[in-house]
Amino acid sequence: MILAGNPLKGKELEKLKQFLEKMDLEYDEGIEYSICILDDDYRIIATGSVEENVLKCIAVDATCQGQGLSGTILSNLIQYEFEKGKVHQFIYTKPKNRDMFEDLSFYTIIENENVLFMENRSNGFRKYIEKMKDETPSEALETGKKIGAVVMNCNPFTLGHRYLLEQASAQCDYVHVFILSDKRSFIPSEDRFMLAYEGSRDIANLIFHKSSDYIISAATFPTYFMKDKVEASHANCGLDVELFAKCIAPALGITERFVGTEPDCGVTGVYNQTMKEILPGYGIALKEIPRVKNAAGIISASVVRENMRKRKWMEVGKMVPDTTLNYLKKLQV
Amino acid sequence: MEILKPAAAGTLESSDAMVTVEPCEEGIDFELSSTVIHQYGNEIKKVVMETLDRLSVQNAKITVVDKGALNCTLKARVECAVFRSNDQKENLPWGGVIE
Repeated sequence: MILAGNPLKGKELEKLKQFLEKMDLEYDEGIEYSICILDDDYRIIATGSVEENVLKCIAVDATCQGQGLSGTILSNLIQYEFEKGKVHQFIYTKPKNRDMFEDLSFYTIIENENVLFMENRSNGFRKYIEKMKDETPSEALETGKKIGAVVMNCNPFTLGHRYLLEQASAQCDYVHVFILSDKRSFIPSEDRFMLAYEGSRDIANLIFHKSSDYIISAATFPTYFMKDKVEASHANCGLDVELFAKCIAPALGITERFVGTEPDCGVTGVYNQTMKEILPGYGIALKEIPRVKNAAGIISASVVRENMRKRKWMEVGKMVPDTTLNYLKKLQV
Repeated sequence: MEILKPAAAGTLESSDAMVTVEPCEEGIDFELSSTVIHQYGNEIKKVVMETLDRLSVQNAKITVVDKGALNCTLKARVECAVFRSNDQKENLPWGGVIE
């Protein structure tokens, strides 16, 4: 018997949570779809769930292993993802499950003692690295250059973002700028990218990339997009930082990562802290740049969005470059 | 036929295959993983290519994860994925391009 829900609710959800607990897993509140296989007594013997493009909470009861139930579960989840148009899928699992998921054609991106992070494309990550190298001028790939990196959502691009880029540009020969690709922000990712690019054209030596699924994404750092719902202690961002430090930074020769100080937001604060702990171990320095204040107070994208909702264009104009202001005004019409 | 959007058909269960298709700008980009790739890899590729040809699919990224499917199963999964990518669920050409 099959039990499915978008997501499961009530008693069925309780049942699933109990089963997962028994399997040493925790149900994620962001889950949008779950499927369970039940035995003749309506007990759960296998399950799996989906959140965005990540397949998670996959488990098969110890007494029912070896029957191919994980294949049934995974097939169902993959079919669900394809119907939602999500082609590129990821899995978090324990390192001991590596063989099982490799058999089901998932490929390792990165692994540490606790977590194994996989994707359904045999060379997805390698291709992303190649693409970023293609976007980089060859002089910036030569050794002996000081290369920095900035990762930003830019929702929307403000004078604060600009200041961060100016500081990074002044301290490095080249700066890689990654704009988040996630689709859940107020402003579409293509537009955020364009605004950041247009708003910083006069700053020298910036190299723009889309962050894709490998830097601060639903897959690597899901809680970033649920900042208001998640306790900071559950930020769960170690793998994102590790992937950047171990695989992305070395490919581009990045030795500095620039961030703005984070006085308010818990999750982003923990992210900065985690970077401070992990990055130096890989020879990357974290440079925290104090946020800029101007007459309007501390510049922040969330304040800009708030002022925009209230149609306080004078206030918005104090915090964003003209390119962003024009865009926002058009958006409002 | 054209591949209009990503689509999947089949399962990862034994004796089946999971076939996924995605739009591709030019040509057929074929990727296979199979438990019997050494014995039947070429045969599987041949069946998939013939089926795409019969459906007049010229541009596609197609991925097959084979778990020991018979040829007829493979054909059916490829056909299903291609028609799903066109959102065509009724008036299927049985006996025509679908053998």
